[in-house]
Amino acid sequence: MHIPDGFLDAKTLITTAVVSAGAVGYGIKRANEKLGERQVPLMGVTAAFIFAAQMLNFPVAGGTSGHFLGAVLAAVLLGPWAACLIMAVVLVVQCLGFADGGLTALGANVFNMGVVGGILCYYIFVVLKKALPRTRSSFLSAVAVTSWFSVILASAVCAIELAVSGTSPLGVVLPAMVGVHALIGIGEAIITTVVVAVVLSTRPALVGSYDLPIIPHPAGGETQ
Amino acid sequence: MRHSYLDSFSNLDSPIHRLEARAKIILFFALVVVCVTTPAKAYPAFAGYLLVLLVLLFLSRLPLKHVFKRALVVVPFVLMVAAFIPFLKTGVIGGGYNLGGMTISQSGLLVLWNVVVKSSVGVLSMILLSSTTPFDGLLKGFERLKVPHIFTTIAAFMYRYSFVLVDEAMRMKQARDSRNFKGRWIWDAKVIGHMIGNLFMRSYERGERVYLAMLARGYDGRSRTLEGERISTADVFFVITVMTLVVLVRILGSRGMFL
Repeated sequence: MHIPDGFLDAKTLITTAVVSAGAVGYGIKRANEKLGERQVPLMGVTAAFIFAAQMLNFPVAGGTSGHFLGAVLAAVLLGPWAACLIMAVVLVVQCLGFADGGLTALGANVFNMGVVGGILCYYIFVVLKKALPRTRSSFLSAVAVTSWFSVILASAVCAIELAVSGTSPLGVVLPAMVGVHALIGIGEAIITTVVVAVVLSTRPALVGSYDLPIIPHPAGGETQ
Repeated sequence: MRHSYLDSFSNLDSPIHRLEARAKIILFFALVVVCVTTPAKAYPAFAGYLLVLLVLLFLSRLPLKHVFKRALVVVPFVLMVAAFIPFLKTGVIGGGYNLGGMTISQSGLLVLWNVVVKSSVGVLSMILLSSTTPFDGLLKGFERLKVPHIFTTIAAFMYRYSFVLVDEAMRMKQARDSRNFKGRWIWDAKVIGHMIGNLFMRSYERGERVYLAMLARGYDGRSRTLEGERISTADVFFVITVMTLVVLVRILGSRGMFL
């Protein structure tokens, strides 16, 4: 989903770059205000974590594989703006270091995975969490649904950007991208939910968006 | 464990390696932007950009195999666009090709060419930049170009810890594979979820320890370094020369007066 250079036209590049720059700029402002420099090492390590986790490919079906996106995970743990900032750092480093994702398409890539995958999906998650009963399992269900949806939404936005730029026809690229990513999204949902469950059972206070009373598990192990 | 990393070969010595980081950032960023904004039909201009990049590549003495392997990153996306080209029916104005019942319009081919050549120039530029500049030099360059401090600091932490975390991830992967994990279907993703959950806890706790250790050593949010290298006249001259050449290539190439 890392769009290279030359796939998008000027209007798409500029629009997405402006929105992404605004979101990342606001994220930087919030990070500076809220916790000062204290949060910086934590965000750096989280970025390194997402970077490392993206290297563990998981099988989709018959030879193809997908990898973890991590935007919803970062948002559930650290909040939407920090998640967008972290995704932006990861994408910039991937672009410069691995040439994965084009330099001029950076705005679009941050938009798809940071703004849509992180910020927008966080608010979808909040709405979903409010709609469901206040239990641990419905919290995890909201995480699962949102992370599945985040992959689909990000791929749909990517397809729309390609179509608007005249690179691929919308009628074909949208169903193809969404179809493949509906499958990859299942992997994302399983991984994100399991990670959140693991963190909830070991150090629940780290899950920033978890607002239920924390009851220590008697065995200290993982609750199923 | 070994991993091919972000800035491999950045410790070589060549005229390109010796350029100041800021000069290289400006040079390669400008090259990509000029290339992406060139109309697809200006064929000679693209030949000119590739020629400039090849000369820079030759000067940098990077192993070609490394550059080529890294450049393969764009292939999946190009293939995807290529697969959809036959469906791109806008403006079939003659001159199309007929391949086994599928017609490919000339405008479709132009889209494919546009995507292939621009992404190649983009990828080559980024590989040249990152393979000739050590990562911390690159970050320092960005900082001097007024990129927000918090952004470069997060990136610096990320770079430093990515080695530790990737090692940790690879060790877990090895342990998992030696226990006969044959992940083939999507529900096997649960195993990876547990691994990643574990990885997160370990990295978070490491982050906390590191932060406390840094506080104990007087960290106040800034990493101080000695006054770094200054951009030399030779660097400025080099960047201006190459950029003038690239802009000339673009102007002449777009008019079809090149060569």
